[in-house]
Amino acid sequence: MKKIILSLMIATVSMMAFAQKKTSTSATVSFDATTPIDALAKAENKTGIAAIDPVKNTVQFEAAIKNFAFSNPKIQEHFNQKSWLNSDEFPKATFNGVITNPSAVNFNKDGTYSVTVEGDLTIKDKTQKVTTPATIIVAGKTLKTNASFNIKLADFGVEGQPITAGKVSAEPKISVSADLN
Amino acid sequence: MLKNPKNKKTLKWLLIAGGSLLLIGLVVYFYFATLSHDDTASLKADYTVEAIPFIKEFEKDHKAANKKYAEKIIAVRGIVTTIEPADTTMNIKMADTTTGSYLIFAFQDQHMAQAKKLKPGENVLIKGSCSDGIYSDILGTYFISFKRSTVEKN
Repeated sequence: MKKIILSLMIATVSMMAFAQKKTSTSATVSFDATTPIDALAKAENKTGIAAIDPVKNTVQFEAAIKNFAFSNPKIQEHFNQKSWLNSDEFPKATFNGVITNPSAVNFNKDGTYSVTVEGDLTIKDKTQKVTTPATIIVAGKTLKTNASFNIKLADFGVEGQPITAGKVSAEPKISVSADLN
Repeated sequence: MLKNPKNKKTLKWLLIAGGSLLLIGLVVYFYFATLSHDDTASLKADYTVEAIPFIKEFEKDHKAANKKYAEKIIAVRGIVTTIEPADTTMNIKMADTTTGSYLIFAFQDQHMAQAKKLKPGENVLIKGSCSDGIYSDILGTYFISFKRSTVEKN
């Protein structure tokens, strides 16, 4: 009887531990708008905030636009300027979504799970629906997650000569990875 | 047409002018394409601050604080609260444990090894390019991000 009670307590405690929202403040968000004629439009932001709620199956991201680090300071300046991301006025990009196939992941069992995430990506105060495959690795109390998808810059009001000239991709690849605890 | 010496001379000058413009264009393109950020260690800090009062400035009025500090080189003295893996690198956090707001430093490649030696609880001086301070709707706290950081003293 004692063993059963003890097992139930352990199970309850472990379930409670995973019922909590998992977060990261060092999520990596990569922006790759390179083209065959220009490899400079590429940046990483390593201080993104990510959260997964294993009970509600929600997925959230936030990234400071100004913290995207480009190797070239001129490109970084252009990226932040008013006619592009206008980071003074719109300082962060956000994503709020859900796992649309929650039965595909067991947050209480170690393993690698393929899921689909759908949600709203907001950049420059413009919101677009994004659907992307994602991988969630459950390892003890930690979740590792990654996903990649393409966006259309024009959908977020980002247009200009570098895009029409083929120096910046009109549909850059966004990659997100995070270790959540 | 080219039998006329005047036309030959014009063509010659056009070729020289076109070649010069092309050369100038290539030099300008090469200059901008190969620009890189300075080593933060070699830059003078615009401000030297203490971590907690610095965080409080953003909590009190983040617009004013951003106007003052965004994209400036800031040296911050404070206690390392957390070391977090970030992809293949790591970040250092200094947090205000009473409010949860925090500073987070991503490091320049050449200073990563030095940053990896830091331990939670250490009092350090870190210099970096302050991106800005933003309220996180996910965490309900302010986070102030730094890029291209370097450890000044520990």
